[in-house]
Amino acid sequence: MVKKMTSKRSRSKKVETCKQATSLIMDYLTGEMNSMTKRAFEEHLSFCPDCIAFLRTYKKTIQAVQSFFDTIPLKKKGFQQTLKRKLKKKIN
Amino acid sequence: MIIIASLTTTVAFIKYLIYFSIFFRFSSFGYTREVKLKTKPGAGFKQITKTKEKLAEKNEQILIKGIKAGDQKSFEVFFDRYFSKVYSLAFKFLGNAADAEDIVQEVFLLVYKKANTFKGRSQFSTWLYRITVNTALARLRQRKKEDKVFVEEYMPKFNNDGYHFVRPVVDWSQDVDKIVTNKQLLNIVKNTIDQLQPLDKAVVILSDFEERTNREIATALGLSVQAVKARLHRARLFLRGKLAVHLGHSPT
Ligand SMILES: [Zn+2]
Repeated sequence: MVKKMTSKRSRSKKVETCKQATSLIMDYLTGEMNSMTKRAFEEHLSFCPDCIAFLRTYKKTIQAVQSFFDTIPLKKKGFQQTLKRKLKKKIN
Repeated sequence: MIIIASLTTTVAFIKYLIYFSIFFRFSSFGYTREVKLKTKPGAGFKQITKTKEKLAEKNEQILIKGIKAGDQKSFEVFFDRYFSKVYSLAFKFLGNAADAEDIVQEVFLLVYKKANTFKGRSQFSTWLYRITVNTALARLRQRKKEDKVFVEEYMPKFNNDGYHFVRPVVDWSQDVDKIVTNKQLLNIVKNTIDQLQPLDKAVVILSDFEERTNREIATALGLSVQAVKARLHRARLFLRGKLAVHLGHSPT
């Protein structure tokens, strides 16, 4: 029983390589990571400029996507009314 | 035995703490802020302030009753309330006004016709949201497939020892704004998003525009949370790789 619990608690992941670090970026950014894994992730980053660069550019990518979505304009009120009229005709 | 019992209690307590922290993460206090770099008020379905929530819910119930009874006025109020949200979400999926308009009509007609099938287990707005997502996704899937996109080429590559294949990895995050104009950047993003598979595109829109949690996205699209995460990560790696190439660096 004790053994089972230990295995459940030690779900922290190893972060020994860039490959492992890269696969954990999303969990790191959303905080979906236990403190052991987080520490291991940050420790890898502390000596790996490549993964720091990768993480920064990954975050920049998310920013770029968000700013793209922000540029899509909303429709004017008149358009909404026209569409509503069309819909009402379809309903009746 | 006592030791085991106390251990069990400790574990239960730790679990409780974890659930608690998960709750906080989803409720925009925690880490989400770091990823959700930009929060646009009133942009998505989600942004209703807490104080207004209860009143809105009550109004919504009255509206639903009206719509179920076939009352046109209720339907019009409902339409006015949700038009821009449905429209802007549809626009994000399809990228043009004509298609977005079609989706809006299709969605609201469905709501009118199917209101009676709404069971009330979820919020009506959640139901509407799911209808919008799936209608837009279906339309996206009907589109003619573009030329094959070689996603693999833009994925990070690693040596056998697990380190990055191309080193150093260049940190171009600060240079983006210097090298390309904002308009160019947005064009690159747009073209790349259009190259994503419909489902991947949906995941990106719901996460980065709608700011939905992975669980909510999973529910809306009928995927597992793991699948949502995998798709989102892959789509972002692809986008990142494309941006890197445009800036003159290795995508890997
Ligand atoms: Zn590394």
